Amino acid sequence: MQTSELLKNYLVDPRTWDEMYTSSTVRQQYEGMVNFLQQMSTEELSKKEELAKRLFMSQGITFTVYSSGEGIEKIFPFDIIPRIITAAEWSYIEEGIKQRLKALNLFLKDVYNSQFILKDGIVPSEMIYSCPHFLREMHGFPVPHDIYVHIAGIDLIRDQDGTFYILEDNLRTPSGVSYMLENREITKRIFPDLIPKNNVRTVTEYPDILHRNLVSLSPRQTSHPTIVLLTPGIYNSAYFEHTTLARLMGVELVEGRDLVVDNHRVFMKTTAGLQPVDVIYRRVDDNFLDPLVFQPDSMLGVAGLMSAYRKGNVAIVNAVGNGVADDKAIYTYVPAMIRYYLNEEPILKNVPTYQLGHPEEREYVFTNMNKMVVKKTNESGGYGMLMGHTASEEEILRYQEEILKDPRQYIAQPIISLSSAPCYMNGRLKPRRVDLRPYALCGPDGIQIVPGGLTRVALREGSLVVNSSQGGGSKDTWVLAG
Amino acid sequence: MLSRVADSLYWMSRYMERTDGILRMLRINYASSQDDLQDFSWKPVLRIFTYLDEERAAAIAQHSRGVLQYMVTDKENSNSVLNIVTHARENARSVQDHITKELWQCLNDFYHTIREEQVVRGLYTDDPVSILDVLIRQGVLYYGITDITMARGEGYAFLNIGKFIERGVQSADILDIKFSDLQYDLTRMDTTYWKYLLLSISGYELYLKTYRSGFDARNVVEQIILSPDFPRSILYSVSRLQMHFERLKGERNREAYQKIDFMIGKIHSRIRYSTVDSILEQGLHAYLISVKEDLYEVGNTLNQHYFAYT
Repeated sequence: MQTSELLKNYLVDPRTWDEMYTSSTVRQQYEGMVNFLQQMSTEELSKKEELAKRLFMSQGITFTVYSSGEGIEKIFPFDIIPRIITAAEWSYIEEGIKQRLKALNLFLKDVYNSQFILKDGIVPSEMIYSCPHFLREMHGFPVPHDIYVHIAGIDLIRDQDGTFYILEDNLRTPSGVSYMLENREITKRIFPDLIPKNNVRTVTEYPDILHRNLVSLSPRQTSHPTIVLLTPGIYNSAYFEHTTLARLMGVELVEGRDLVVDNHRVFMKTTAGLQPVDVIYRRVDDNFLDPLVFQPDSMLGVAGLMSAYRKGNVAIVNAVGNGVADDKAIYTYVPAMIRYYLNEEPILKNVPTYQLGHPEEREYVFTNMNKMVVKKTNESGGYGMLMGHTASEEEILRYQEEILKDPRQYIAQPIISLSSAPCYMNGRLKPRRVDLRPYALCGPDGIQIVPGGLTRVALREGSLVVNSSQGGGSKDTWVLAG
Repeated sequence: MLSRVADSLYWMSRYMERTDGILRMLRINYASSQDDLQDFSWKPVLRIFTYLDEERAAAIAQHSRGVLQYMVTDKENSNSVLNIVTHARENARSVQDHITKELWQCLNDFYHTIREEQVVRGLYTDDPVSILDVLIRQGVLYYGITDITMARGEGYAFLNIGKFIERGVQSADILDIKFSDLQYDLTRMDTTYWKYLLLSISGYELYLKTYRSGFDARNVVEQIILSPDFPRSILYSVSRLQMHFERLKGERNREAYQKIDFMIGKIHSRIRYSTVDSILEQGLHAYLISVKEDLYEVGNTLNQHYFAYT
């Protein structure tokens, strides 16, 4: 295959797995795409990039940044070149996530009830009791169908030989799924016919599956339960996602002030008086859900919600208290959970993780700081982390002092190089680092994963941080059929 | 429907109706300002649509371009088209699951259009009518998309209730202020004055077809208050308001429904059985003020019984 202008200088770091290229050839799954791109001029592609931006803007797929009293609309950066996953890779990922999620659900049920896993010494009790996300309020309370994690956004990365690793289990209120859906819609507009030609599996079922699962959780026996999506409101950066999901499922989008609890039942305030609510898909964190139980000054939640929940009068999705299972320190024990509860070997691997609360491991990490990434266990979104290979001597020393104040709050992992995928940058394709977040839905009929997900990409050259709050963007993610 | 959602739909619709009213008014008044008109003044427009005091209004009224900029793109003017469209869009944004995607995109596009640099520049340097036309067309798109895509449910009822309350109040305001400019002297025969007034509310052609004897202030009063066929007349606005409010009739909230139904019915009958003579006997100003107050009262009562959520 001859290389066009577009692919000239597509230099893959030899220590990195590239999704498109082996050292010498284009991988099979990318051939269709590369052929297509080579027939395009740079002008055409740049025009398509413009069109994508305009579509995001005009459809209001934006978030608002408020500065000097004025709102400015921003779009999350979108790269027009899709990331492609083969059928074989996908079935492996799917199996692995299902297994992991099954174990995590069993763990949550166990840790909030009989606590066999602690008694058997598989997970040390102090890890659980020192975790700020472990909520006594959830103890001994049977959640519907024993499902705690209804929606999971599990992050995967690939190291230099292409092996998939689990980076993080997001089991609380994982976001980004609207970008999985919208990115695909944008691709349909900017690359006509390309998707059917490449035999890409559809992702549009996601809201239907989620809706079906939500209906099945209704505590009231009725064919039309009232389902609401609880949002923190229009100032939340994920507000677009909340409106999209509410619209696609045809459920009511509510804020805390629209709801009221009376006699352990939740109602919404409508033009025809109070109407009972059966299922709440909340996009508000545990801490803000109920000012009577958690943070008392929260305006985002509903007073009395937890009592209604514990009485079984309303279902909450995801369950409250899930943070104890996706805490970065608990993460280390997930492979052990899989062996303990399922008697299976984990399909997807964990990234090796060092507990800084553990003196020997801390010692090892401190002497190898420049090969490590250190993270706070209770932070997400790429905040509060230190990349050892780029940090200065001084930064490292300061960070170590911080760690010593409360070592339990930190973990360290060897820096995994993350696979790269082609991105369209100023008329050329350039490799940039990516991760993958598929969305798994767990209902009474089992776990379903829509074939696709969110590929986040670190748009800055050489960067390994894909979080949108740290300059990351996203791509459409194709899973090929057979 | 959530009370908060009903509230937002109502206000979104009022803001959009106001936007349309302001833009049409500006377009015709600008044309009028280019005509040989001895006593043309921007002051009535500023009095209808802004909260400026006499002195500041007088200062701004000197320059057409300044008025346009103040009314369309000025961030400090809380009633500028820019600010109103922003409010309408914020309301729409919070009820996206209750309006169609097309309607949301239309309002979102309007918002982005009016914030474009060339709008400000165009109003100041190029042909401002072209810019106003672009904006008016965005508003018309909003009306069309609402009509074609919105389900005829409760939400649609609240949209229309907001729209026709706003329109009724606007027509009353326009008539009142235009006549106060003439000290309510109905004998003045100023053809151009009436012509531009009717043009600014798209009622000129209807006037010509209905009244063949030239311009008479009494006829203008009749058309703007009492015509059942003129879409901006107060009577038309109130009958539409009545029609759309009836959609809210239901078993629940019956007491509130009956209360407001009674209020709207009373306003409607009062206008329906007025004549130009009976209005003038009462005094045009007093009549218009009381209609306006009654319409505001409907809004307040709706707020109390249908929108209360905090």
